[in-house]
Amino acid sequence: MPDLSVEQFQSLSQQIYQKLGLHFDEKKIYFLKTRVAKRMTALGLDDPREYMFKLSYADPHGEEMQALANLVTTNETYMFREYDQLQAFANYCLPEVLSAKQARGERTLRIWSAGCSSGEEPYTLAMIVQDVFPQAQSWDCEIVATDIDQNMLRRVAAARYGARSVADVPDEYRAKYLIEDGDEWIVRRRTTALVKARHLNLSDRMAMRAMRGFDFIFCRNVLIYFDDLSRKAVVDHFYNALNPGSYVFLGHSESVGRVNTAFKLKRFESHLVYVKE
Amino acid sequence: MVAPCHELSGRNLEGSPKDGDMSSLAEYVQQLDGSDEAERIYAAEDIGYRNAPDGVPPLLKRLSQEPSRAVRDAIFQALIRIDADASIEGSIWLLESEDPQIRNQAVDVLRHKGARSVPFLDRAMRNGDRDVRKFVLDVLSGVQAGGVDEIYLAALADHDENVVITAVENLGRIRATQFRRRIEELLLAGLHPMLVGACLEALAGIGDESSLAAIRGRFPDLGVVPDFFLVSCVKAFGALGAAAEFVEMTGLLAVRGHHLRPAILGALVAIRQRKPTEIHGEQLLPPLQAVVDNGDPPLCRYQAVRVLGFLACHDEVHSFLVSCLSSPERLVRLGAVESLRESPRPGLQDILVACAAKETDEEVLQALGC
Repeated sequence: MPDLSVEQFQSLSQQIYQKLGLHFDEKKIYFLKTRVAKRMTALGLDDPREYMFKLSYADPHGEEMQALANLVTTNETYMFREYDQLQAFANYCLPEVLSAKQARGERTLRIWSAGCSSGEEPYTLAMIVQDVFPQAQSWDCEIVATDIDQNMLRRVAAARYGARSVADVPDEYRAKYLIEDGDEWIVRRRTTALVKARHLNLSDRMAMRAMRGFDFIFCRNVLIYFDDLSRKAVVDHFYNALNPGSYVFLGHSESVGRVNTAFKLKRFESHLVYVKE
Repeated sequence: MVAPCHELSGRNLEGSPKDGDMSSLAEYVQQLDGSDEAERIYAAEDIGYRNAPDGVPPLLKRLSQEPSRAVRDAIFQALIRIDADASIEGSIWLLESEDPQIRNQAVDVLRHKGARSVPFLDRAMRNGDRDVRKFVLDVLSGVQAGGVDEIYLAALADHDENVVITAVENLGRIRATQFRRRIEELLLAGLHPMLVGACLEALAGIGDESSLAAIRGRFPDLGVVPDFFLVSCVKAFGALGAAAEFVEMTGLLAVRGHHLRPAILGALVAIRQRKPTEIHGEQLLPPLQAVVDNGDPPLCRYQAVRVLGFLACHDEVHSFLVSCLSSPERLVRLGAVESLRESPRPGLQDILVACAAKETDEEVLQALGC
């Protein structure tokens, strides 16, 4: 295995953090080294310095960084993924938005799960909304789940998940919102009722312009597969799709601040979130 | 900053071959001044997708008065999409802005334009003020293009030291070996510490034997070189040196501060990787053992253990590495597994299997092959 020196590891983890927002500390040195070794083998390189040079200065379109990103990120989706973000949503952002709406006499809540894949994220959000805000049933409340892949949308509609998808669901949520059915778990009807699945290509700018009036947008671990310019265009659309005072959540590997300067960074205790002012 | 009048007049909006298209452009331009933020964003986006050079002046004009960051972002995206000299010229002009966000975004646009922006950058390098000249180099640091040597020659001769330093940094990064001699000269003559540091870093990337001699000429005794320079010196020695430098670096471990050890160990690893057959390292075990045993930071200890990998066939080193498998520090154990695997000996697999039975750290287990 080509041996990445400590200095190269530090330089690489800094670059990955700057470009992808993923943090690799010394606990992940072996993980990162093995992934880099795979990329070097694929490229026919045996000197880590050559790989570092390629990544840093000979990758104008970010293709190599993307290839590395594919190796160091997990495509797996499951309920209650990136729990910290969900805590910020449940404990701070959602109550704040709801009380502002109540003060204005509004009774609507609209959340968009963009690039929802097989539906674990929108159903997670639906469970949280029902738990934090039991009155959701009497409000005009919807979670719009969009994906480009019709097969994924069919899985959203089916709302059946294997054990891996629900492994991180807290027990109290599992009891309230899921039903065990053999090896699978089914999302209860009153939770699925909040979720509306729709086909949408995030790169279709005209379709994106129709998406308006949201209080939250979740688009986690989707934009890492977009090139720089397309990613910026999508986040610009998110900005327009949100109401003032609303929040956008991207994945840990994607920073809003690097893509769009219009959102304001807001801190809730240890959580950092992006809001449209 | 005052916009050139001819650029901002919205000229030719009516004079296109396709009247229908142009009226649309005129509509978008009108929407750029609308009161609704979203409408202005869409207008900027549509102008960008039209890829019409005539859309550039109105975009620039709007930029100068636009209060919304979101709209400004959209305008820059449009400038990137418009594949015309007008958007490059406009972005060069924006480098003079007082607003750092606008300057940074202009740098980003020019980087996206790549080689096409080079002639314009060349002109800006000759005519711009020192800030613009520095920004030109910032653009070039993200551009892979030919025809930039003239710009760098001008930058290296610039009377502003910041411009020279930035040029040297870029040249090291892009491995512009044709500038090696000039950088060696700057190293020997340079007074500004940042310039000297930049030259050392650049030569670590593009240097050769003569560069090593130049570094020795500037810093004859590494034992007394100030810390600020030593890290870069050691890096350059690691990149350019051989057996003699390996011995010299090993000696530094004992006489320089603990905080310099990562750099010194990095240099040892680098020389070892480049000159595996020239390095013997018999005297290496005691100083590296001291690093591992003396409570240095975990990554430093890991590095020390990894340096020993090529000596793992020696009995003493092998025994030491095996003892490291029981270290309470996971990185020491990880380094020991990797180093032992570098020079496998009979019985090693049994040792590693026994180690795996006790190991709990996920990464170490992976390295052990579990």
